[in-house]
Amino acid sequence: MNGHREPHESPGPITSTAGGAAWETSVRPHLSGAARAADGQSHDRPHPSGPAAGPAAGTVVEEEAARWRRLSGRSPWASGVKSLVVAAGAGAGLVRFLMGRDWTAGGIVAACAGAAVLIVAALVAYDLLRLRATRWRLTPDRLELRSGLTTRQHRSIPRDRVRSVDLRADPVHRMFGLTVVKVGTGEHAGDGDEVALDPLDRHEAEALRRTLLRQEERAAAAREEGPVAELRWSWVRYAPLSVWTFTGAAVVLGALYKGLETVGLKRFTTRIAAGLWEWVVAQPLLAVPLLLALNLLVGVLGAGLLFAESWARYRLEREPGRLRLRRGLLTARSLTLEERRLRGVEINEPLLLRLGGGARIRSIATGLGKSSGDETEDAAALTPPMPRALALQVAATIAGTPLPVTGPAPSDSQAGAPLPVTGTTLPFAGPVPSHGPDGLPGGGAEGPASPDGLPGGGAGGPAAPAGLAGHPGAALRRRVVRAGVAAVVAVAAAAVAELTAPWAWVGGWVWTAPVAVLVLGLWHAVVSAGNLGHALGSRHLIARRGAVVRRTVALDRAGIAGWTVTESFFQRRAGLLTVSATTAAGRGHYEVVDVGRADGLELAAQAVPGLLDPFLTREAPSTRP
Amino acid sequence: MSVTGLRPPRNRADRRAVPWWTVQWLILMVPVAGAAVAAYWFLTERPVWLGGVVAVFALGCLTLAVVAPRAAYRVERWEVTDQAVYTRKGLLTHTWQVAPMSRIQRVDTARGPVQRLFGLADVTVTTASSAGAVKIEALDHEVAAELAERLTARTQATPGDAT
Repeated sequence: MNGHREPHESPGPITSTAGGAAWETSVRPHLSGAARAADGQSHDRPHPSGPAAGPAAGTVVEEEAARWRRLSGRSPWASGVKSLVVAAGAGAGLVRFLMGRDWTAGGIVAACAGAAVLIVAALVAYDLLRLRATRWRLTPDRLELRSGLTTRQHRSIPRDRVRSVDLRADPVHRMFGLTVVKVGTGEHAGDGDEVALDPLDRHEAEALRRTLLRQEERAAAAREEGPVAELRWSWVRYAPLSVWTFTGAAVVLGALYKGLETVGLKRFTTRIAAGLWEWVVAQPLLAVPLLLALNLLVGVLGAGLLFAESWARYRLEREPGRLRLRRGLLTARSLTLEERRLRGVEINEPLLLRLGGGARIRSIATGLGKSSGDETEDAAALTPPMPRALALQVAATIAGTPLPVTGPAPSDSQAGAPLPVTGTTLPFAGPVPSHGPDGLPGGGAEGPASPDGLPGGGAGGPAAPAGLAGHPGAALRRRVVRAGVAAVVAVAAAAVAELTAPWAWVGGWVWTAPVAVLVLGLWHAVVSAGNLGHALGSRHLIARRGAVVRRTVALDRAGIAGWTVTESFFQRRAGLLTVSATTAAGRGHYEVVDVGRADGLELAAQAVPGLLDPFLTREAPSTRP
Repeated sequence: MSVTGLRPPRNRADRRAVPWWTVQWLILMVPVAGAAVAAYWFLTERPVWLGGVVAVFALGCLTLAVVAPRAAYRVERWEVTDQAVYTRKGLLTHTWQVAPMSRIQRVDTARGPVQRLFGLADVTVTTASSAGAVKIEALDHEVAAELAERLTARTQATPGDAT
């Protein structure tokens, strides 16, 4: 594999991987718009050498199967560049320290240079030693990795257990054509779960991915289907719809202030802060709106940049048996998720995004949460924020079946929305007795519970859009009562504050707090109750909840590993209960909250036929009018 | 037919559960009540009204220790069918749990030191879900061992990786 040192000059077997590596070879930090467009095209049509490339790529790795191989020899260069950051930080600290000791400028420069050389040399040397100590190989059965300077480790994954191959290349890695490969088995087994090859040659990494996932012969066919979703830059308008837009700039400023302080520029920052404060005090009418506007501007800009870095070149593809997600402007990421690990999708709508008509899709998969715990970003995210209608479409595509949540975007179930009441036409809506006679003769999954034949859910009002059945009015009453209790507590706290606070100005203003609590509480109660909903798809159990962040979960019914039904004292009096489906994937349990007792139990019984049925008590319809 | 509710599982905990839980409650409650009385006796001027309050509190603690296990015994039930493990528990918040045989990954029995004096054991049935563990409490230890064996045999007979 020496040829990998100069991949572009060597015509050997490496070029045959071009079909798979196309996007990565054209991916550079200085990528222009035209190049990006060309890059996009190379995906849309099957690469000419695609079908031939696949098997050949496999053999590249396969040929040398039994041989122990090294990681990429260019890794020390990348470590060298990265260590400059550490060296710069250490240099700054050193400058500050030596300035305090009255060193001359020349002495300081010399000391800094010495320290920098030392640090870079040490880190590069460490990386060289690490490379020397690390070997990996791919046998016909297993992927093996020997590593460790002081503690020798030997990790071995059976190839048929490989569930994910994630590629990741940060900007420095990409400068040197390197990629970090993480091979996971998708089990929560802890340490032995993942083998990381840090780093491999870009082409070698791609070839390894293709070999491990055995997609060679099918890759070309998959390409023609087109992607499940692909970035449109207009989605950037959803990026600022987050709390961070309003707080992010202030947070960054605070961190910067602290950071400059530690580097020894405290006098400087203090002077700026003092000047700013004087200005605000002198001209509050001008300064405050201006600062707020500036904060917002920085926030919007930051959100846009973050969106670009995370989601540029976003592309979600369905390959046979798996989903492949590629994204990232500076750091290129490629995640492959086996579909047999997938147990459903979650449609995520935080308040601001929801008001803006957007939504995000997250996957519900087994063994996903822990494996990427070192990364700050959400490993389950499948899409950037995108228009809601499109998100629902993508969710249905990923789920492989139409989900009853699809339909016209609801009016966000805002205040005043009529709640589902007795007698709605939806099979699951309304309190217990309303559908006794007409209800559920079949009992099977395809009985009247299947919402496909429902008339759009219009009868349920905005609370039950497109097939989702709303929950009984008692669910709203519970939430209103809770808001009332919170308000009473706030009133009591305000009274105490007024009586005991030593400042006179507290007197009037303190009473705004209970009012705010009451208003917010009522808003939360109404929206939360309105957002409650559930349905049974042909393959999925769908449950929706949440006021601030609305989550619509479509959980594969085959992935349900049990039920937990809870009924609190107050729920019992209101005829409600909470049905929780436990599963091996995602958060481990997904609830249908505050559903009518009979509806909830019937839903659970039909979602997994035969499981709950033996434990239900039923009443013959003849006993009811 | 309309659903009216969940029927209670067939089996209760062992009779010895009541004394065992009572001992557990007493281990918790006697120090609490004792601390209240001691604080009243040594740290205050022993006003009569406070004495009444402390007495009511201490008696309440002890009453709870006697009543709660009996109430729990009435509520806690379990059942194992060929298809599933089914349990009920909870006084104020009722909780029913169902775990299908095909999804069971592990069966554990556990016996604490005090529990051993009463000849009791707990059986915990774990599924692939982090939230799905089902616990059957306070069985006769021989019944528990037999049950664990039966469950293990059944789940081993079921194919698949239970996720």
